[in-house]
Amino acid sequence: MRATDNQGSFLNRISIRRNQVVSMDGNHEQELEDLDLFQKHVADRFSDLLSSTSDDDSVLSIAWLRKLLDAFLCCEAEFKAVLLMGRDPSQISKPPLDRLVPEFLDRVVKALDVCNAAAHGVESVRHYQKLAEIVVAAFEQKPIGDGQVRRAKKALNSLMLTLEDKEGSTHKSAERTWSFGRRGAPSNKDRSTAGNFRSLSWTMSKGWSAAKQIQAMSANLVAPRGGESSGLALPVYIMSTIMVFVMWALVAAIPCQERNGLLTHFPVPRQLGWAQSMIVLQDRIAEEWKKKKEKNKLAGLLEETQRLERLGLSLIEFSDSFQFPGEAERLEEVAAQVSELSEICKKMEEGLVPLQQQIREVFHRVVRSRTEILDVLDQGGKMSAPTM
Amino acid sequence: MEKKPHSDQNDNVSSPRDNSETVDAKSDDHQQQHGEKEEKDVEEDPPLLDPELSLAQILDEVDRFLETLTNAQKGKSDPPDQVPNSVELLSKMVESMIHAYNACKTKFGRDLEDDASFLEAVNRISKLSNGIYEFPIQSSSLNRASSVLQRAMSFLEDELRVLLHEEPKPNSNVSDQKSQKPSKQSSFDLNHEQDRCVLPDPIEQNKEQEEFPGFSQEAISNMNKIASAMIFAGYESECCMVYGILRGSAFKGALNKLGYDYVSIDDVHRMQWESLEGEIALWIKVVKQCSTNFFSGERKLCDSVFSDHPSLSQTLFLDLARPVVLQLLDFAEALVVTKRSAEKLFKFLDMYETLRDLVRVMDDGSYPEELKSEASEAKTRLGEAAMSIFCDLENSIKSDHGRTPVPSGAVHPLTRYVMNYLKYACEYKETLEQVFQKHLKIESDDVSTPKTSPFSVQMMTIMDLLDANLDMKSKLYKDYALCYVFLMNNGRYILQKIKGSTEIHELMGDTWCRKRSSLMRQYHKNYQRETWSKVLQCMNHEGLQASGHGKVSKPVLKERFKNFNAMFDEIHRTQTTWVVSDEQLQSELRVSISAVMIPAYRSFLGRFQQYLAPGRQSEKYIKYQPEDIETLIDELFDGNPVSMARRRA
Repeated sequence: MRATDNQGSFLNRISIRRNQVVSMDGNHEQELEDLDLFQKHVADRFSDLLSSTSDDDSVLSIAWLRKLLDAFLCCEAEFKAVLLMGRDPSQISKPPLDRLVPEFLDRVVKALDVCNAAAHGVESVRHYQKLAEIVVAAFEQKPIGDGQVRRAKKALNSLMLTLEDKEGSTHKSAERTWSFGRRGAPSNKDRSTAGNFRSLSWTMSKGWSAAKQIQAMSANLVAPRGGESSGLALPVYIMSTIMVFVMWALVAAIPCQERNGLLTHFPVPRQLGWAQSMIVLQDRIAEEWKKKKEKNKLAGLLEETQRLERLGLSLIEFSDSFQFPGEAERLEEVAAQVSELSEICKKMEEGLVPLQQQIREVFHRVVRSRTEILDVLDQGGKMSAPTM
Repeated sequence: MEKKPHSDQNDNVSSPRDNSETVDAKSDDHQQQHGEKEEKDVEEDPPLLDPELSLAQILDEVDRFLETLTNAQKGKSDPPDQVPNSVELLSKMVESMIHAYNACKTKFGRDLEDDASFLEAVNRISKLSNGIYEFPIQSSSLNRASSVLQRAMSFLEDELRVLLHEEPKPNSNVSDQKSQKPSKQSSFDLNHEQDRCVLPDPIEQNKEQEEFPGFSQEAISNMNKIASAMIFAGYESECCMVYGILRGSAFKGALNKLGYDYVSIDDVHRMQWESLEGEIALWIKVVKQCSTNFFSGERKLCDSVFSDHPSLSQTLFLDLARPVVLQLLDFAEALVVTKRSAEKLFKFLDMYETLRDLVRVMDDGSYPEELKSEASEAKTRLGEAAMSIFCDLENSIKSDHGRTPVPSGAVHPLTRYVMNYLKYACEYKETLEQVFQKHLKIESDDVSTPKTSPFSVQMMTIMDLLDANLDMKSKLYKDYALCYVFLMNNGRYILQKIKGSTEIHELMGDTWCRKRSSLMRQYHKNYQRETWSKVLQCMNHEGLQASGHGKVSKPVLKERFKNFNAMFDEIHRTQTTWVVSDEQLQSELRVSISAVMIPAYRSFLGRFQQYLAPGRQSEKYIKYQPEDIETLIDELFDGNPVSMARRRA
């Protein structure tokens, strides 16, 4: 796919060059050139990402997240090339890499969990989509009657409840779900929701917190200084930063277990060229996160979710005041909102499954890289000191 | 009689303005008031004597109306300008049915006839609602129909929820549960009862108990009816949502009951191997349950509840199975990227086998490629990890260059470790063969594959490495005899281990074993030569008689006895401390030594004893009788540093 298109030439070049000069020691200059190229590519990708956001909407649409993950996959492939391809294993087991690489691998493990949590989160968003589709189905019938309104309202109530549910404790809402529908449940059946989704979502282990995970990933993220900043420490730092940023954006966009206290800022030195666009993006997302947090509406910053929420509120209002057969003007308004809702549903239908697959791809890729890097570390370790 | 004169009433409410004036603000209130108003209207009708008949009549009439609508839509006739009163009556009928279900606590599924009537009535209302969509008539009675349909659907949804909740607990007997219900005998129940009579086999009953998810046929049939009605009415989404959510959590509950709890990848990396082993055992149990029982049970349930909608059933099943499969695979992925170490091999192989079975189950055509490839990917990665751990044994052997010889020439710990490892690994022979085969294919496709399996090649390599390493270690002994004892000990140990395991034996082959045995014989000979040839030299008859006159030289004879005693004592002293732990080898050695020594000594003694004066002289030089020699030889290789002096004392 896209992920491989624009990096092929870079990887080829590195591999050819490394093969040619593998016996020579003084290829420092070429290494510097590779590093420059890597930084330039990272900068380009993020400035593309920045320019593909529209100003008025939320940064985090499904389409944008997919681009972000694409960019991640590209950067990751290049990073691995820079770090490993044709390299003498002992090079990455020397200081400071002997500390930085294991730290990076630690971050990778945490990123894997975030990927899983985000994949579960996408499942929640698909649930929003299904509820919204019921609303669309009900309101697309003509004429709209009491039955349609009640059907839609039930789905809307569920939708709002699930949207609110997504923040705060998992377990409380799970209990709430379970109180529905048993025999002896409240007789007011129409008010019971179409089912709370939380019980279905395959949550992470107890006490797992997306916010803490991101925090831990960014904990010892320090830009290399002095002599280190021209060596391999730099790409390790760049890739770590990209990884933290991407995981952070996923967590901000998609409902994930425990996001209370999610970082709104992690330090990226402003003078670094490759980081400029990323810093702007980070500020914008963080700003939006803070705004939402104030309103206590945190179903996730995903643009489509936010639009669902807005339309949902308005349609609930309509449903509450509806009297058959309804005023023509109001019905027209509703029809417009419903078609917008339907359009969002379509976007979700088209985008969520691929997004989920992409998250999975990131997961697999990162797992693989970890193994490859570990293997190289192992080799390096064996050369310097035989075990057993 | 069939056409009821209600047109004027309908005309009354057909104007929107009119309608909005008759009702109050809130829609709920509106609904109720509206309902009450209609009820009054109906009461003014001629009383319906037989309610059963009236339902049939109402349905008839609604059917006719639906037909008119259909014709109108096809352009065969003009659209009807009014809605017959039967629509109103039908709505009322359904409403009162819902009311009855709720009020008398007779829920859906208690009375098959009632259910059938209800579903039929709901079916007509559904058609009417679709009619509204396709052919708009502004009508309050159609509006009411849609509202009643919504209520009916809400009711059915709740009933479905209740049915899905009523999953029997794993230990409770299915038939018990059934008999607890006050039996309002339905035809289906009877059938089922008969079924049970045909199969009174207690084993069969047990089977039924264990079956997942354990719903009664009755419950499944009710769920099926509800699902069909909801889907027919266009409430497919609601139906699937309830089903999906409740089955999802029930499935999760079933896994939790097995002790399963999600462990995050981060936690896996932090865990000690001991706790991970527990998690792995649990994981294996859970995956096995899923592939042998849970998935097929869930699939069957889905298929029976949504029997008329196979593609829906497929979607629902996969929505449920996919996250389970992925989450289970994640654990495998998490483990694969932990630091590799030898003790993990067997657990990885166990997991590999478990996933292999799961992949096999997933090959039944109902799982999508993407999920299957995730599973086989995870399997492959476990296989690769297992292989790399196994091949790491090579490095362990290569890097073992200890400089201190094992005391007493005993079996080296490395030999024990490697052989036990191999023996254990060979219990997974088939799996390892698979893993090696697969990986070899990936690595070198075009290389002409040798006749011997790649795994046995690996085994040979390891054995050769071990041999080379032991050879090197044997050189650490200064005493050659001990060096051979060491080689014999280790060689015997290896051979015994191989003979003790059919799997390794098959892998290494008879030729290899024969070669080893003859090598062992060679060591034995070498040992004997090293230790005993000099002793035998003492008992050589030659050189004792001075050449020419044939007289035995006493000083030489005395020297010979002295030498013999000294040498034998020395050998006894050192070699009793040597260890041959294999009993058979120990006795073989002793027997072969005795077989050479005792006849030689006896004949030496018999021939030359006479030349020493009996008494003091003879006692001084003839320290041992042949029987003593035998006893002392039997004390060799015991690992007992008992000094001769203490023995004698």
